[in-house]
Amino acid sequence: MNRLHQLAINDEGFVFDPTTGESFTTNPTGLTILQGLRAQKSPSQIVEDLCADFEVQPEDAERDINDFIDVLRTHKLI
Amino acid sequence: MAEIYVGISGINAVDNPGPGVGVARSLHEDPDLKVHVVGLAYDTQEPGIYMDWVINKAFIMPYPSADAEAYLQRLHYIKHSYGLDVVLPCLDAELPFFTKYQHEIAALGIRTFLPTLDQFNLRGKDRLADIAEAIQVSIPPTKVVTSLAELHRAVERIGLPVMVKGAFYKAYKAYTYQEAVAHYHKLVAEWGYPVIVQGMVFGEEMNVVAVGDGQGELLGQVGIKKMWITSLGKIWTGVTIKNERMRDVTANFIRRYRWKGPLEMECMVDGDTVYLIEINPRFPAWSYFATGVGVNLPANIIRKIYQLPLPATFDYDPGKLYIRYTDELVTDMQMFQKITTQGEN
Repeated sequence: MNRLHQLAINDEGFVFDPTTGESFTTNPTGLTILQGLRAQKSPSQIVEDLCADFEVQPEDAERDINDFIDVLRTHKLI
Repeated sequence: MAEIYVGISGINAVDNPGPGVGVARSLHEDPDLKVHVVGLAYDTQEPGIYMDWVINKAFIMPYPSADAEAYLQRLHYIKHSYGLDVVLPCLDAELPFFTKYQHEIAALGIRTFLPTLDQFNLRGKDRLADIAEAIQVSIPPTKVVTSLAELHRAVERIGLPVMVKGAFYKAYKAYTYQEAVAHYHKLVAEWGYPVIVQGMVFGEEMNVVAVGDGQGELLGQVGIKKMWITSLGKIWTGVTIKNERMRDVTANFIRRYRWKGPLEMECMVDGDTVYLIEINPRFPAWSYFATGVGVNLPANIIRKIYQLPLPATFDYDPGKLYIRYTDELVTDMQMFQKITTQGEN
């Protein structure tokens, strides 16, 4: 199973990985991206979500998504 | 049902706590068991002796490694003067005695729930490579050495830093060859040969407490990650986890070797790779954590011994937190005087 789907995430951005016991916190932008990835949304759909929820341009949102995905890879969550 | 008198050792709830108090608390918390806990202590100042709401009665014991006959006689005395139906030994140093003398203890009318001597010897660190292969888990690069020349070759081959370990107890980290030699001499003096040299592996340290029924089945297992440890390496806070790979390793070990009794698996987990570091053939000091999340392993042992129904599930939730805290007890000298002069409180 995709590790992302195993994560316990609350509304405040607290993330717990039950496989490793690691916990993380993320800001609202990261939370939106995480929820989008877990819902198997495409990057362009997540860009739309970010632009709708935050005052951000699509190119900035796309960069945020790529950066965040790198962070998830670093933690072996994807 | 009649009250069951259960002897529990390791009631030394100090900065390097024994498992006994947690095991005793677990037994008291099973609503279907009527357990009377008999504390088996080795020092008159073990805190459990004074915790009469957990340890109902305590006796000072001789050291089992020093005089097996005296220990058996002491068990016989407790059985007949007070009552002793089951013993759950909780300390490393007792286990060779209890595994070796299981039949003699049974002949006293006292039950145990322990691995056989062969099973017990299996988990020596010098046998870890065989076990790892059998249950399909990785171990750090490991060499078993019995001389300084072998130590030198092992350190050269594995590369610094290394862990230098006794076959059953103690482990030290060495950053230089000189440190490795010093640890080697210390281990040989205290525990004898062989000494194990192990390469360092990186990842998250994760542990499992489990009980095998002796027929290859689990009586429950709980996995944890230690979040905060003391300077002695003892858990202070931790969290329950469900790492499927580590759970499989534990179940494979219990199935493959038909392990009977409690055990603690110490692992390092790096992504999908699980390194088996050590198997301790007893409850860890944090056993009450499992009880707190609904898997009462000590009670399951008593239920199995007395053929009582086991819980329908051994499941638990990941993400439950364990926080150890200190407490104080103030009492008068009476109990201390009594246990000092009479050997029981």
